[in-house]
Amino acid sequence: MVDIGAFTEAAAQVFARGDVWLIVIAAALYGVFVGAIPGLTATMAVALFVPMAYWLDPIAAIAAIITMAACAIFAGDLPTVLLRIPGTPASAAYVDDAYAFTRRGEAQRVLRLGLVCSVIGGIFGAIAMMMLGGWLAQAAGWFSVTEYFWLFLIGLTCAVIVAEGPRSKAVLSLLLGLFFSTIGLSAAHQEPRFTLGIASLYSGISFIPAMIGLFGMSEVLLNLVDGAAPAKPRPPVESALQRSTHSLALTLQEIGDRLRRRKMSTLRSGGIGVLIGMLPGAGCDIASWVAFAASRRMQQKAPTVTGDEGEVESQRRSLDSIGDATTANNASLAGSWIPALVFGIPGDSITAIVIGVLMMKNLTPGPQIFDEQLPLVYSIYLLFILANLVLLPVGLLAIRVSGTIVQIPKAVLFPLIVAFCVTGSYALNGSLFDVLTMLAMGILGFVLVRLQMPTAPVVLGIILGGPLEERLVQSLTAANGNIAGLVQRPLSIALATLFVVLVGSMLVESFRRRDRQAT
Amino acid sequence: MVTEEAANRESAAGLWCKSPLKLLFSERETFRLARFFCAALVAVSCLVVGCGSDREFPSRPLTLICPWSAGGGTDRIARQVAVQLEEELGVPVNVVNATGGGGVTGHSRGALASPDGYTLTLATVELNMLHHRGLSAIGPDDYQPLGLLNRDPAALFVHKRSDWHSLADVEAALAERAEPMNASGTAAGGIWHAALIGWVAQCGLPSESVNWISINGAAPSLQELMAGGIDLVCCSIPEARAMLDAGEIRCLGLMADERSPAAPDVPTFREQGDDWSLSSWRGLLCPHGVPPERVAVLEAAVDRLSRSPKFAEFMDSGGFQTSIADASEFTEFLSRSDRQFAETLGSPAFVQSQTAVVRPYFFPICLGILGLIFVVPACRSQAAVATEPSVAEESDDSSPSRWIRPVVVILAVIAFVATCETIGYVLATAVLMWLLAIVFGATRRQTVAVTLLAAPLLYQLFARTLGVPLPWGWLGW
Repeated sequence: MVDIGAFTEAAAQVFARGDVWLIVIAAALYGVFVGAIPGLTATMAVALFVPMAYWLDPIAAIAAIITMAACAIFAGDLPTVLLRIPGTPASAAYVDDAYAFTRRGEAQRVLRLGLVCSVIGGIFGAIAMMMLGGWLAQAAGWFSVTEYFWLFLIGLTCAVIVAEGPRSKAVLSLLLGLFFSTIGLSAAHQEPRFTLGIASLYSGISFIPAMIGLFGMSEVLLNLVDGAAPAKPRPPVESALQRSTHSLALTLQEIGDRLRRRKMSTLRSGGIGVLIGMLPGAGCDIASWVAFAASRRMQQKAPTVTGDEGEVESQRRSLDSIGDATTANNASLAGSWIPALVFGIPGDSITAIVIGVLMMKNLTPGPQIFDEQLPLVYSIYLLFILANLVLLPVGLLAIRVSGTIVQIPKAVLFPLIVAFCVTGSYALNGSLFDVLTMLAMGILGFVLVRLQMPTAPVVLGIILGGPLEERLVQSLTAANGNIAGLVQRPLSIALATLFVVLVGSMLVESFRRRDRQAT
Repeated sequence: MVTEEAANRESAAGLWCKSPLKLLFSERETFRLARFFCAALVAVSCLVVGCGSDREFPSRPLTLICPWSAGGGTDRIARQVAVQLEEELGVPVNVVNATGGGGVTGHSRGALASPDGYTLTLATVELNMLHHRGLSAIGPDDYQPLGLLNRDPAALFVHKRSDWHSLADVEAALAERAEPMNASGTAAGGIWHAALIGWVAQCGLPSESVNWISINGAAPSLQELMAGGIDLVCCSIPEARAMLDAGEIRCLGLMADERSPAAPDVPTFREQGDDWSLSSWRGLLCPHGVPPERVAVLEAAVDRLSRSPKFAEFMDSGGFQTSIADASEFTEFLSRSDRQFAETLGSPAFVQSQTAVVRPYFFPICLGILGLIFVVPACRSQAAVATEPSVAEESDDSSPSRWIRPVVVILAVIAFVATCETIGYVLATAVLMWLLAIVFGATRRQTVAVTLLAAPLLYQLFARTLGVPLPWGWLGW
């Protein structure tokens, strides 16, 4: 199946060139840097690079883009874990779980694990792409809008499954997010809704400022009201350092343990990542939600432990879930290249830029690229592996440096966070209205936390609401308004069944829980 | 230097108040701080800025608004234009993707930008369409055209396994079929929708024979064509190029007067007996009211750029059809094109084809009903949880004053938004940081450090390193 000649040619092109190594390392540093700043996404890192791509040869340009994306997605974990602001939407799924470790002073532990899992996910994705690329691309071609509709519904169900606390509250949060997504000019109808005549609302609520507000700004406000007591002593610097060196050994042990114990779940998360990544429009954010939910689901089958050991056990479990989610989001990056290469249909916004860059180099993506440019295709796979190998040292360095953030006194850190929230939400679209969106969402997040409602489903609702409604309207229009159009094709029936099973098991479970509480 | 000494004297003399609340209310302290802050700011701004006097145009970075998202065709052209304009004008040109609202956002922002010549827009055909559909008050009259760059004619695509090989086949199928044919290529009411409905109407067929499915963008529409969800795709050749070259789809005709050099074997509609043409276009514009001497500088730069071999090579390799026109030709083209769209978009055929099967408020109403169902169990679980002591209630400080600080933070951010376009990013951020540091009870040294270091550093990081255009104010930054 693998053409050895082309493969060795590709390997020579990738690994034997000094300039490619240099570009990959520079791109890794840049990717980590951009990804770690809330408001700047992996897409933006790549978009800013396009003018430079003009001067590079195809291999170098692709190497830079792949490395940037992989590193930026990992680096999104840094502010997620340290400040509770997701750096990229892909980290939003596990923001609360990860931040809980930071509160205990174990930020480094989560970050290192996330890094290793990202690298594993990335390499897994590259290998899966190499083995199954052509076949998977065909599978992606079977998905029409109706299948996407079911897929997005499943994604939303995942947000409810993973949320802490009562399910009804998670559903309400989700509905709130979905409602926000309907604000603006409806893509399906081209009609303004809920805009109150404000021109800036025509483009809707942009989800990156919303996400920064819901997680970052709300944290600042909460701290001002609740955790303001200055009497709360910070751990002395010395002990914090001791803990971090102590936990380095611990994390190594933990990572080794994970590699042995969780082979199957790593495979599963990697698979979820690749499969979701290659569906156009369903990028690494959905991959990470679904993998996180799947991981939670599997854990619920394990017996619960009570007492002190129970707490250790629940920590271990949440680490496992975070690991699975980071594996999936990096694996999905590779998956998104499959439809891009085979059909020239972008799997996400990054590969959309990649197609542009390839065409700029007179390389047209399409099935013939596998015949005519096979070495190039192999180089792309190998570049994925190289990028992830470079990510490991660069990521460790970034974790080391960012570790100092927790040492900064609150009185300095919080103004800085606010400045980052403000500048980050402005940066994406250069719009001051987005800053107000961020602020409003910060206040909303504050209110939600005080009402003990989960904030993460709001974000997923905002992200998925638009596509979900569009796919629903498209499916119904194609079927002339007949609701049976949603379950006409075999694939859509399969996905609909999966959705019904998920919701059904959730309902049964919550009834059981209520019964148990009643007795 | 004198001002720095003054600053030092202040810091030596002043007593620092530890409690932020007391500080907020003590007038004397606030006054002292303000005086100290102003002195320090003057000192630093003198050191850093030099003198930001307004030299020749352009003397600072330009912003190029792209109304569509990163990665698309318009974005690719915008980034190429930015690179070349940078060479022509000698200042950085930053691309801003002001996306959303089907082009409303970007086109409105470009037209409403301050007319100083520092904001350009890479406008697309939607500038001719949105105001006719009542979606935007902005039209071509709000802009000063600088130069037309490209025109891409619409084309009709079918799946390789389809039975239709020519326009006549499709026309016959449209006339015969009882069920409408599903087609897409862009959102309902978009350029390709207008192109297809215009053609159908011209053939004398009823507009109900085509069921336009609103799919955002050509790429997902082609994916839908491959998946078998729709029968026809109407979009431009470069958007479909990869799949066309791969033989996965077939192009039945080009809605132009002449064949495209990008696909010379595709016949035009006119060759097949249908006199129908419609193209999208992309061009550079600036808002109305820019001083004429600045417009002249920009026009000359755009003209050189668009006629350069480098630009031609880029357009060729991307499959875009170059169509260069200078400012006066472009102005004329815009008004001509505007009249054509007024006719097409106002025609009963087009209006009728936009009536949706699913009403716009269908989805929000579903959400509302679900919300009502879930409110009751959520409230009940709220009551159950409330019996346990929450963290918030454990807090001993229950005085209303603890709400003051979050309110100050919120007001500070609002004040930042209100003022930063006038006084500039760095000054506004410095004021914001200073206020926040006080609210959070920083020590005097910390306040000074945060105020004086954070704002310039953030500016360096975002504006210089990452090329994000931040608001520009009094001091030049």
